[in-house]
Order: sequence, then C-alpha cells, then structure tokens
Amino acid sequence: MSNTNKKKKKIKAFPIFNTILFIIIALIIMIPIWKVLVDSIDAASGYGMSLWPNQFTLGGYKLIITRDSLYRPFLISCVITVAGTFLGLLLSTLGAYVLIQWEMPGRSFFAYMLLFTMIFNGGMIPTYLVIRRLGMLNTLWAVILPLSINVYNLVLMRNFFEGIPSSLFEAAAIDGCSPMGTFFRIVLPLSKAALASIGLMFAVTFWNDYTNIKIYVTKNSLYNFQMKLRGLIVDNDLPTTNDKISDNTIKNAAIIVAIIPFMIIYPFCQDYFVQGVNVGAVKE
Amino acid sequence: MAVCKACNAELPKNAKLCPQCGTKVYQPPKNIRILAIVGAVIAIIGGLLPFIQNAEKVKDAYSYMSYLNNKGYEFAYHQILWYLFMAALVATCIIVVLKKEVFSIITTVIAGVIFALTMKDLSTFLSSPEYKIGCGTYVVIAGLIIAVAGCFIDILKYRKTIQYDTRYLTNNKSTWSRMVNHKWFYLMFLPVLVFILIFNYWPMLGIRYAFTDYTKLPVYVGIKHFAKMASKDTYFWMAFRNTLELSILKLILNTFMAVVISLLLHEITNIHFKKTVQTIIYLPHFMSWVVVASIFRMLLTTSESGLVNQVLVSLNIIEEPIFWLGTTETWRPVYYIVNVWKDTGWGTILFLATLSGISPELYEAAQIDGANRWNRMCYITLPALANTIITVFILNLAKVMNLFESVFVMMNDAVIEVSNVIQTYIYTQSFTGVPNYGYTTAVGLFKSLVSCILVLGCDYASKKVRGRGIV
Repeated sequence: MSNTNKKKKKIKAFPIFNTILFIIIALIIMIPIWKVLVDSIDAASGYGMSLWPNQFTLGGYKLIITRDSLYRPFLISCVITVAGTFLGLLLSTLGAYVLIQWEMPGRSFFAYMLLFTMIFNGGMIPTYLVIRRLGMLNTLWAVILPLSINVYNLVLMRNFFEGIPSSLFEAAAIDGCSPMGTFFRIVLPLSKAALASIGLMFAVTFWNDYTNIKIYVTKNSLYNFQMKLRGLIVDNDLPTTNDKISDNTIKNAAIIVAIIPFMIIYPFCQDYFVQGVNVGAVKE
Repeated sequence: MAVCKACNAELPKNAKLCPQCGTKVYQPPKNIRILAIVGAVIAIIGGLLPFIQNAEKVKDAYSYMSYLNNKGYEFAYHQILWYLFMAALVATCIIVVLKKEVFSIITTVIAGVIFALTMKDLSTFLSSPEYKIGCGTYVVIAGLIIAVAGCFIDILKYRKTIQYDTRYLTNNKSTWSRMVNHKWFYLMFLPVLVFILIFNYWPMLGIRYAFTDYTKLPVYVGIKHFAKMASKDTYFWMAFRNTLELSILKLILNTFMAVVISLLLHEITNIHFKKTVQTIIYLPHFMSWVVVASIFRMLLTTSESGLVNQVLVSLNIIEEPIFWLGTTETWRPVYYIVNVWKDTGWGTILFLATLSGISPELYEAAQIDGANRWNRMCYITLPALANTIITVFILNLAKVMNLFESVFVMMNDAVIEVSNVIQTYIYTQSFTGVPNYGYTTAVGLFKSLVSCILVLGCDYASKKVRGRGIV
C-alpha cells in the first residue's frame, strides 16, 4: 500500500519539477533577447537591471531607417540573401537531380568529386588568392558565389529527391517528357518541402554571413548588416544624432534589426528547419 | 566452357559477344588501376610544388621583375607548358578510369616530354632563385615512371584474364550511347561543375604556395615553413592546442546538455507546452555569431548597463564588476556557456526525433513489469539513444578544426593565449601588417590535413557504428 502511494507521489512530483525546469530554461534563453528588446526601446537605457523600458522611444529604429549608413547595410544583406538563396537553390537542385541519374556514365565520378571537397579543402588563404585573382575583392560576388555552392545542402537535396518514386520518372520519359521538363514539372513540384527547408538554410547562411564579408570586402559602402553591427558594437562606430537617445539604445535596436527577419518567419517555418536537420542525418 | 546467360548457348573461347543472341558477355576485369592513377597523382603533386611557380603569377612577374622584361614571353611560354603538363596528367587519370591504358601511356609520355622541355628552359634561362626547381623534379619523375609502369601492368592483365561477367547482361547499352542519352544531364551539371572547380578545386592548386615565401611573388623555399611551424612557432602550437581544447570540450558539453534536455523534454506530456519550449530553445540558433557576441558583450560589460555584473554585485556574490570577456580565467567558461546557450536547443532535434520513434508499448510493458521512471530511462531510452549520440558526436568531431567565427567574434587581444585558434591565427597573420601568404598557407595546409584525417577517421567510425559513412 505504501509502495503505491510513494509511486503516485513520485509521478506527480516529477512533471511539476520538469515543467518548472523548462520554464527556467526558456527564461534563460529569453532574458538576454528580452533585455536587448527592452533596451532598444528605452531612450535612457543604461541601467542593467531594468527589464522594462523607463522612457519609451522608437528613436533607435527611426535612426536605422533614416540614416543611409545604417539602412544601406540592411539592404545589402537583403540583396545578398535573396540572390544567394536563389543561386544556391538552383545549383543544389540541378546537382542533386543529376546525382540521382543512376544510369548516367560518370555519375559516381561527379559524386566523388563533390564529396572530396567535404574531405579536403585548400584553406582560407588559397581561396582568398583565387578570389583576388578573379577580381572579386570588394564586390558582393565574393560573398554570393562561393557560398552558393554548398555540397552539404546538395547532398541533402539528393536525399530528398531519392524519395521520389522512380516510376514517376519512367512514366514521364514514356510520355515524351524531356529531362528538363521532368525536372520542372515533376521533381520541383514534388519537392516543395525540400526547397523550403534547404532554401531557409541558405537564407540563414547568407543573412548571417560575417566571415566572408570580413575577409573579402574592405569597402565601407559594401558592408552587410552583420559587419555594420560588429562595427557599432566593437568600434563604437555610431552615427551622430541630435535625438536624446543613448548609444546603448542604438546598439540594441541594431541587434534587434539584425535578428528580426528570422524571428518573424521562423515560428511559421519551424517544421521545415527541423525536417532539414533530420533528413541530413538519417538517410531513408 | 562458359554459357551465355541470355540464350544458354555455348560460348567460344575469348568471346566478347554471344554469337547467337549478340548479348555482351564480356567485361574487362575490374582491377582498379590504382598504380597508374597513383603515379599520375604523384606527378601532379610534384607539378604543384612551386618549381613552375611562374605559371600563375605572370602579370606580377612582369611588373615585379622588370629586369627580366625582355624575356617576358618565356614566362607566358612556361605557363602554357605547365598547363599542358597538368592537363596531360589529368587526361591520364581519366583515360585510365575509362580503361584505355594504351592511350594513357601516350598522354603520360607527352607529360614527361613537356616536363623535360620546361625544365630545360627553366634551367637554361632562369637561374634566379625565384625559379628554382627544388625537390619537385624528383617527385614528378618518380610519379611519371610509376604511372607508365602501372599502365603497362594493366595492359598485361587485360590481355591475360578474360571473365564472363553476367552483371553485364542487365545493361546492354554501350557507355557512349548512355552518354548520348544523358546529354541534357551533363549540360545541367555544368554550372555545378564550374562552381566546384573554381571555388573548391582551384584553391587546392594554391597549396603549392605553402612551399614559397609569398609576399609579392612566390619564391620557392622548400619546407622552411613547416620546419618553422614544428620547431620555433610557439604561437602556432598554442593555437593548435586551443583549437582542440575549445572545440572538443564544447562538443562534449553541447552534446551532453542536448541529451539531458531532450530526455527531460520527452517526458513532458502537454503537447502545447512542449511545442512552445521547442520553439524557444531553437531560437538562438538563427542568430549569427556576431549578434550573439554583441548580446553577451552588452550583458557582460563592466559598466552599469551590464545585467550580469549588476545582478551579481547586488546579490553580493562579487564585489567588483568582472571583465568577463577580457580575463583569461573567465573567457573560456563564458565561451562554453554562450555556445551551450546558442546551440544546445538546436542539437536536441535529432535526439527528440529518435525518442519519438521509440515504441510506447515498450514503456507500457516496462511499467507493467514494475520499472520506475529511472529504470525505464536506463534500460529503454538510453540504449535507443546511444546510436544517435554516437552519430552526432562523430558528425561534429569531423568539424573540430573548422572552429573560427564563434571564437573570432568573442576574442580580443587580452585573452589571446586562451582563445587563439588555428583559423584566427591564419586570419590575423594574413590580414594584418605585411602578410607572408606562404607561411599562412602552410599553416592552413596543416589544418586541412589534420581535418582530412579526422573526417576520414570519423567516416570509418561511422561506417562501423551505423553502417553508413558521413560523407
């Protein structure tokens, strides 16, 4: 009797403990973000322990929208993300579609050629010298082109494509559909989830890119938002302003602007992200 | 006597096609032409050694070495010869793979002749140290000899053994007709090929700068840089040690935390609460390292806007605000905590997927048998999770040498001895002051080789553990 009582008690105690634990974990994740958000709308932000704005203002955001030294990096980030994601998806789908043509002579040679790049690479400096030789230093191409060929995402895409039943391809071939036609009419419409998932991965990579801009771009006018943010925070490279807002407010507003695009779309696309991770590790 | 599998007719000796039904019954033996390819690759590596280094930097050579201007056309001449030499060797590899050894001997010999021409020119006209030939010569000669010998051995084998391979029956079409059938696919692969060649394979050619002093023009110095790395450069070894320590401890911490959190999260029954928690803990993964570093920089600052120092001081845990990111004792713990904050949530995805795959019947059966929560975790959940844990560990172990951005945005000069890693070392050496690209390429080559060994080792381990490689 006492044994069952004990058991019941344990079963009740554990979920409560667990729930509290996860509330704490969620708070640990959220408090830094919350703090940044609060400071970004607090004109007098400067005191560490305030978790609620004292003097509400949108001055920081207004400054980012109106100063061209701050909104230009944002637009450049947008351009890089859109162009890079498009190009990256194009290359991954084309490559993945060719890699599932088992009858094609040279298929395995191409596959090994791609896989070898995952094992060995030239390194930072030889790549830099190649980019320099191509005349791409201080252009956005130096960021868009090298990042858009991502062998990992290509293999991921191939794993998705392998799930398409081969009878569909045969039927299309019998009906006289060309390889291009099959690609656009069968493969792409059937893999919308894969496109969303890998497209989002590319978008995150391009939006968050800092390393490539740092290495290849030295011109101020071509900095993307991450680079600009780094300048704001570390070098205190702040624009002068007449408004009564503290430097801290501007910095925090810039951080919020840097994360806001993905914070908005992420909750709606969470499943696609999760799916991408799972397909990458577990091949069907 | 062999029999045709398609029509059961007896086959005459050495038949390639069945005389009755015309099916192909013969396939050349599948001995991998390792020797020939190895030889060609050795020769290519020799060719990459900088003895024909003027091949690429022709323009710089013109401007920098103006006193050789009157011989300028010879540089261009060498460039073409060098590319021809490499092309001939690559052609050898391709032809060997296509099983036409006779032709590959021809291309190898052509490569040898071109090489001899180049060498003669180089040694006659250019005795300046910039164009010293170095040990590459012997490497190339050895490689060429091995390649030719390999081809000969292949030809001899090809003559001797004839097998009847029934696998061929299923695929009747010749390679050429299959290639014609797939012509559109080759066209579709072309853009990918171009990108891969430019951004992944071309930099590999640049590895030869590791054997040069390269400030304005590459000057061959042999293995000087590697000797310096091994003996004198304490900063390099510090960076190497830091790379291993930081990334391996980070990997262990992240994996451990992710396992614990997914085990506990799996126990939550309220589906909405679980979804919300998942959404929140995945969130930091989408922030760039710049953003994360900025957030924590502001939280940890010593001024009165720093939340952490303010809270700790007001709770009387510390007396003075601590400069967390600028003190050697605290930098690493902070780095690990930030990493756990950012990536643990994302790391739980795979574990949660595995956990949701465990059949609930197992738990019910265990419960009936009187197993409590702890027993169920030890005997059902953890064994089911073990494979995934090893997988995740192996997948990430292959990447330990790539540690760069997370450290780069959080380090500063005050904590360089605990935070400098190989990649940041290469970066600061290359992009500040007067860089010697030769030396940093050598460090990069070392890093690439170590990570290559790691990837192959992890791939091998992965095949052992779960029957599938990681690449």
